[in-house]
Formats: sequence, structure tokens, C-alpha cells
Amino acid sequence: MNRSIFTNPYVLIAPAFLLAAFIILWPLFQIGEISISNVNRFGQLRGFAGPDNFMAVLADPQFLASLWRTVIWTVGIVAGTIAISIPVALILNEDFYGRGLARVIIMLPWAVSLTMTAIVWRWALSGESGMLNSALMGLGLIDQNIQWLAQAATAFPVQIAIGILVSIPFTTTIFLGGLSAIPDDLYEAARLEGASGWQIFRTITLPLLRPFINIAVVMNTITVFNSFPIIWATTQGGPANSTDILVTYLYKLGFNFGKLGEASALSLLMFALLLFFTIIYVRLAMQGERE
Amino acid sequence: MFMSLHWLKVAAATGVAAIALASASYAQTVRVTVAEYSSKTGPYFEKAASEFEAANPGTDIQIEVVPWDVLQQKLTTDISGGANADLAIIGTRWLIDYVSQGIAAPLDDYITDDFRARFIDTFLSPSVMDGQTYGLPIAASARAMYYNKALFEEAGIAEPPATWDELKAAAEKIKALGGDAYGFGLQGKEIETDVYFYYALWSQGGTLIEEDGTSGLDTEAAYKAAQIYKDLIDGGLTEPGVTSLNREDVQNLFKQGRIGMMITAPFLANQIKEEAPDLQYGVAAIPAGPNGDRGTYGVTDSIIMFENSQNKDTAWQFMDFLFTTEKRAEFDENEGFLPVNAEEAAMPLFADNADLKAFTDLLPSAQFAPVIAGWEEMAAATSNALQRIYLGEGEIQAELDQAAAEINSIIEANN
Repeated sequence: MNRSIFTNPYVLIAPAFLLAAFIILWPLFQIGEISISNVNRFGQLRGFAGPDNFMAVLADPQFLASLWRTVIWTVGIVAGTIAISIPVALILNEDFYGRGLARVIIMLPWAVSLTMTAIVWRWALSGESGMLNSALMGLGLIDQNIQWLAQAATAFPVQIAIGILVSIPFTTTIFLGGLSAIPDDLYEAARLEGASGWQIFRTITLPLLRPFINIAVVMNTITVFNSFPIIWATTQGGPANSTDILVTYLYKLGFNFGKLGEASALSLLMFALLLFFTIIYVRLAMQGERE
Repeated sequence: MFMSLHWLKVAAATGVAAIALASASYAQTVRVTVAEYSSKTGPYFEKAASEFEAANPGTDIQIEVVPWDVLQQKLTTDISGGANADLAIIGTRWLIDYVSQGIAAPLDDYITDDFRARFIDTFLSPSVMDGQTYGLPIAASARAMYYNKALFEEAGIAEPPATWDELKAAAEKIKALGGDAYGFGLQGKEIETDVYFYYALWSQGGTLIEEDGTSGLDTEAAYKAAQIYKDLIDGGLTEPGVTSLNREDVQNLFKQGRIGMMITAPFLANQIKEEAPDLQYGVAAIPAGPNGDRGTYGVTDSIIMFENSQNKDTAWQFMDFLFTTEKRAEFDENEGFLPVNAEEAAMPLFADNADLKAFTDLLPSAQFAPVIAGWEEMAAATSNALQRIYLGEGEIQAELDQAAAEINSIIEANN
């Protein structure tokens, strides 16, 4: 059979590829150019700088500290989100009275802009007039206001918790899709054989949900790694940079301090890091699937 | 001969017609980027623009209002893309970058002696660099101490404290009342956390940048100043969790009557008038140190003209219009800024305002942010050291010495 050139896969993906290239590769090229140049705070290039900008970023102790915090931030939120979203999706997949309403409530945080959510949380976490303190006090759990955002020891865990909360709707949606793809007769057969609920979950649901978990991990990692609003709206990375992750540190470098060369170098490093770990994860996951 | 003269006439006439046509269809457009100081800023500039357009047919003034937090980011992005406006409001402390990179145009060719005489010199001088004027002070502010009169009366404090020792004693009396009010409101988060520390630093005779061009944070004066604040925090005389409160948070507590004393800008008086009209408050000088030293922070924002503006003459006319006494008075009254214009300062509206008088009295001791490249980064280093001190995560001397070393290396790198 003679195939027309218009059904050649490369021709078919060309339009989408060109669009993506225009949106992604062109800015990437620009940032690459800035990162190896001397650049003033207005983004005007002033000669070739070689690897100076990259060296300056790598030598900054804030870079390593923020990188470490970004790892905790990303792993904490992604793991927490997956761990909570699976049971939530299982429950929402059951047929019960008011399921529609429950689904809407779980999905609602998704409908609110992330920045607005973060600002509302900033108010809720206020030490003097915050809702969280008055709720805890009303429940008799604390007898003194906690200054949640005053130090990293309380601020960072709370920020991670907010991150988990806002990631649940999207992740649950993926899992609900995954659950509906599992054929019912598998469950029926298992029950006939007298399998317990836990056995069914471990040997049927979880393995068949694997590809969806992988998608959720990759997509959440990418968003969370680059997530700016929660930390910026609550602490701006403070006090004393103790809640800075790479992306908030990047913002400070670029827009507060006007070091656009170093900021470009840092964003390329972040891009490389994210790409590297995503590829590793996807390969590991694919290997697991083949076995 | 006849012929050529005729042709000349025709050519001249056509030329004139062409010029007339071009100027009629091509309005003089001036874009102005404006910082949003309050909800009144946008309407004020829109009104000024339409008044100016009515008085100057053929001009078109386009106002872009930008929130303060993202102003620097917006200007940077616009400039790097070559899409900047003709005029923009900037923080005067940023001006040095705009001047050294040739972004801001010198205004001296436009400024007449009469025009210059309109200004109070203290406010115009920060915008003068290398003998050239690069900006005009669109907004001016200084800092003074607000105190809650009702709390003072209840605690039996007769006078606002004149020194830091007296301030500590007053805060202790307010604490002894046992209510939910705190003696001294201390800002420990976000923009101007460093400035809040400078009040104490200046009162101890310290400076930000010493005469030898190095940081003044590794000095006895700075250690003592930090000790004053640390003692207040440790004694429970400030609000708890100072590192979680930015300037607005502390001001909000003051408006709720829960702060005895705090240092901030004139605009708090405007906010109190609208949001907490029953609050009994007074405005006094910032406490002095043992030798009577004191300093307030003077801030101006400048309106600058861009070097690449295509309509500089019209842009200048609009600037000139904004700095007429009447327009200035309207703006400063709206926003709660200090008058920058001598004639305006003499108007009863400002001259008879007791709150404002406390600020203008402090002007002789006003210190401005140093005109030095990389200042934002140095301020951040200072704020970080202070936050660690306030949290008790670091020793005063070690933290300040480290911040000074950081600042010195930034100064060196920029030279």
C-alpha cells in the first residue's frame, strides 16, 4: 500500500511541533543568550561573559540552600498529594448518596486562582487575627496564638500543606479517570474468589492505576517545582531566605536585584534539573511497566 | 523664470499643506507609567491627563497605572523590550541605574530657574546626579512616630517618649495594662524591614555607608541599635512574631488600637481618618539616642523622562503641568504625602495640619537611601541579618558583621 505523504507521522506532528517550538524554544534561546552575556538590569546585553553568570549562581550559598528546600518542597507535595488523592478518588468512585456534591467540593479549590488561595491562607495564618489560630483555640488544642509565618519551622510545613491541598483536585481527577478504566468483572471475579478489600486494592486497583500514578507524579512534579504563588504570597521566601525555593530565589535575583544574567543562568539550570529528573523518572516508570 | 517661481510657490504650498496634514492626523502621544499609591492615584492622573489634553489640543496622554509591588518588574520588562513609556514614576533609589545605563534623560535643558524655585530643595536634591537633574519628586515622605493617646492615658504616660529608654519604659507600662495591646510595633517582614532598623541606628550616631565607603553595620552604633530592638522583643514589649508582620500588618494593628507606638509614614494618618476615625492618636518625633542624635528616613519617588521618548517636549509640558501648585496640592492631599512645592507647603491645608507638622519638623534630620548601585541587594542582606537576630537565630555582632561583609563585597563588585 502506498502511503500518502500527508499521513507520514512527522508531517502530522509538524504543526504542533512548530507551535511548541515557537513558544518554548525561542524564549529558551533568548535566555541562553542572556545567560552568557554581561547584561544590565534592563535586559540590555553588554558583551560576552562566558560562564561567569553560571559560576556566580553556583557559588552563591543561597543556591544550594534553595535547591535543597526545592527538593523537600517538591517531594513533600507530590508524595503527600498522591497519598491523599488515591483514597479520595477511591471514595469518590464508590456510588453513594451525595457523591455529585462531594465531587464538586473536592474540585472547588481548583477553580480558585492559586494566588488568591495563597493570599486567603496568608490571612488565615495571621498570628493575631487568623482563622487557623481561632479554630485551634476554639477546639482547645492551643492556648496561645501560634505565629505560623514568623519562622521557617512552622511556615514551610504549612506552605507544603497548602501545596498538597491545591494539588489534590487535579490529581484526583486523573485517578478517577484511571479507576473508571478498570473493568468491573475483575473485581467481581476477585470477590467470588473471596479476596479481601485490601487484597483487591493491592493486587488489582494499584497495579492497574500505575500508569495514572506515573502521569500524576510527572505532571505534579513539573508544576510544583516551578510553583511560585504560595510561597511568595505567604512569606516571600523569608524570614531571612529560610523558605526560599529556587523559583522565588530566581524572582529576587532577576527583579529585586536586577541581576538578569544570573537569573537567566539559574532558570536554565532549573530547566535542566527538571528535564533530567523527569526523564529519569519516566524511564524508570516505563521499565517497571514493561516487566 | 516665471515658470520656476510658480513651481517654487506650488512646492512650498504643498509642503506646508503636507506638514499641516501630518500634525493634524498625528497627535502628540505621551505614555506615562504611574505607580498606584492608593485607589485615588489612577483617577487623579486620568483627570490631570484630560485637563492637559483640553488645554493642549493635539496631545494625547495615556496613563498606565501599575501596583507598587510590580512596578520595578514592569519597567524592567518594558525597557528590555523597548516598549517603555515616555514618562514613568520610579523609586528615587533606583534612579542611579537608570542614569548610569542612559535610560533616563537629563531635564536641565527644560528646567528654568523659576521652575526650580518651586521646589523645597531637600526633595529635589536626591534626583540630582553628577550635577544634572534626572527626575522630579512626584511623591515625598518621611517617617515619624505614631502613638495611641488612649493607651498612653490608660497607662499613665504623660508625654510621647523622647528617647529609646523612655520608649522602653512606656512600652512596659502598656504591657502592664494586661490587655491585648502591645507597647511597640516592630516591623520584621518584607520591604523596609531594614529601614525600621535605621531609625535606631541613626539615633545611636550610626550611618548606612561610612565615609570610607564601607558598610556602617559593623559598628558599635549598629550593635547597640539592634540590642535596643532585641531587648524590646525579648521583654515581650513588641507584638509577638515580628518576622511575620510587614508594615501594613503593623499599621493594621495600630488602627485596631492594639499598638502603643510605631514609626511610619504620613499616609497612615489618611488611612486612620477613613478606616478608624475614632482612634485617638498623636504623631511625635522618632526617639533620640543618648547624644540626642536622631534620624528619619526621607523617601522620594521621581518622575523621569526616558531618553528614547519621541515626544520629549510634550512630555515635559505634562510634567510642568503636574508640578503646578494646584495639581501638587490635590495629589498630596489625596495620598497623604508631604508637600514638595514651597508655595504648596505654605497653604493652610498643609501648614495648619498638626500631624504633618511632626513630619516636616523632622526633615532637617532626614536621611535618604544612599545613591549607590546594588542598594536593593544590600537592603536585603541587612533585612536577612535583622530577621535572624529578631528570631534569636544569630548573635547580634556576628550577624551584623556578616551583613556588613556582604554589603562591602557588593560595593566592591559594582566598582
